[in-house]
Amino acid sequence: MSIWEKMLNVDRRWIFLLIGIACVVPFFTPLGLPILPSAEVLGIFDYMEDLGPDNAIFVGFDFDPGTAAENMPMGVAVLRHAFARNIPVFVTAYTPLGQGMAAMAVEELTNASSDDYFMYVNWEDWASIRDQGIIDRAGIEEAWTAEGNTLPENARGWVFEGRDIAMLGYLPYFHLVILGMSSSIASQFPTDIGGTPIEEMPMYQEHKNLREIDLAVTNAGSSACVAWITYGREKIGLPIAFGVTAVMATDYFIYMQSGQTVGQMGGLRGAAEYEVLLNENGYNKGYGKAFVGMDVQNIAHLLIIFLVILGNIAFFAGGFNKKTKLKGRR
Amino acid sequence: MSEIIGIWIGAFFTIGIYSFLYKENPLYRLSEHLVVGISTGFTIAITYSQVLKPKLIEPIATGEQGAWLLLIPAILGILYITRFFPSVAWLSRYPMAFLMGAGMGIGFPLSMKAQVLRQLEASLIPLYEAGMSWEIVLGNVVMVLGTLAALIYFFFSKPHKGPFFGTGSKIGIWVIMVGFGATFGFTVMGRISLLIGRIQFLLGDWLHIIK
Repeated sequence: MSIWEKMLNVDRRWIFLLIGIACVVPFFTPLGLPILPSAEVLGIFDYMEDLGPDNAIFVGFDFDPGTAAENMPMGVAVLRHAFARNIPVFVTAYTPLGQGMAAMAVEELTNASSDDYFMYVNWEDWASIRDQGIIDRAGIEEAWTAEGNTLPENARGWVFEGRDIAMLGYLPYFHLVILGMSSSIASQFPTDIGGTPIEEMPMYQEHKNLREIDLAVTNAGSSACVAWITYGREKIGLPIAFGVTAVMATDYFIYMQSGQTVGQMGGLRGAAEYEVLLNENGYNKGYGKAFVGMDVQNIAHLLIIFLVILGNIAFFAGGFNKKTKLKGRR
Repeated sequence: MSEIIGIWIGAFFTIGIYSFLYKENPLYRLSEHLVVGISTGFTIAITYSQVLKPKLIEPIATGEQGAWLLLIPAILGILYITRFFPSVAWLSRYPMAFLMGAGMGIGFPLSMKAQVLRQLEASLIPLYEAGMSWEIVLGNVVMVLGTLAALIYFFFSKPHKGPFFGTGSKIGIWVIMVGFGATFGFTVMGRISLLIGRIQFLLGDWLHIIK
């Protein structure tokens, strides 16, 4: 067996080991390679920058744990942006497990052990303010702090349940749910996942159907993007943005080119770009998991490119392009 | 405490799944089957608590006005179960027929608009206009010619010979290969991302070695 043949028949477990090492070492020696936001991600960020407390968006956690490594940082980044700008967010899920993913994202952003977290105020906790008839965002925060509530030093802001966020959760046949919500959100989700009636929420009273919503961001590892485009964009002209897994990214660029989406985050890279934009614009002192992971990604890609080149050299130098098949085990 | 137990269980099964990279083993099998089982169980629980209970059982049980109408989709849904009984399995065709008919009726016009007409519209672009930069012109030319060449490759009623069909289909296959290459690149990125996510969990949440 020649050296070239040995190279082509190398036990694949050595390659797994190399990839494993390449994915662990950069965590301990960060390279800090620059990440430049692309036009697709800037499209979403700039669109969100034009929104505020008088607008409202949908954020779909339309993925399962299997793609959480890619989709979760996107969802967290968009939620952070919305919370920081006090944009009301309706959170939905295309899959049953997506509902759990949404809860985890909110937990990550409202966890008091992390810097730049948001203080979550439960629906019941600010009932006295609602009873006074105060439902505008600035008025709620003013009344809340007047009651003696102070923001901890490492917290960035308040998130009032029912004013800033409504966890609507999962429903099956979500394309029909989107259609139904074009008439009334409450017809599909009479309550949030905690059982609070949607119609009592100030954010619903100002945005009763999808026609009154300014953007839907679907973080998807499934066909949720197509459902939002088909039934949200084409039916009622709802602006849509995608956060998709890297595997799906090339399939969904066509919707950017046709102008059907305002932007797209593709894979971990897209999420990292959004995190960079959040950092550069003062929404986060640090970075999220995607940015940290991109150093690792770069090293792993370099290794894979090196192995592909090496494999091709062995293939052609060994003359295997002229043979019908390789000898030995494959 | 429950969070710590959860993290340890997660770490154990993450290692269990990755043990397949060395070779097939019982721990991998156990982890794989648990993923499928727990996902299904979770789906059933969520579907019951958020769909069946509030949207079907409670309205009927409390005698809500017009709730009897819900019996129609309920019965149609139950007919699906007849697939498990060969003698009455034919009954399951009714809910399927309903779903297919309703799905086509609701989805077809909008799907045609969103996924065919809009894409056609986006392909009908001027190759050159006054004031366009050369990069835009080049991009437009590549996109229009690439689309046409790829379509020629999938046109099988004529042999792929001659300057139009022969050359066109050859360019088409190159365009398709470039598309496959881009998809492969993104796929590699996606798979590595999933591995990175698990390593972040193991080294960060579990072992607290990294932040």
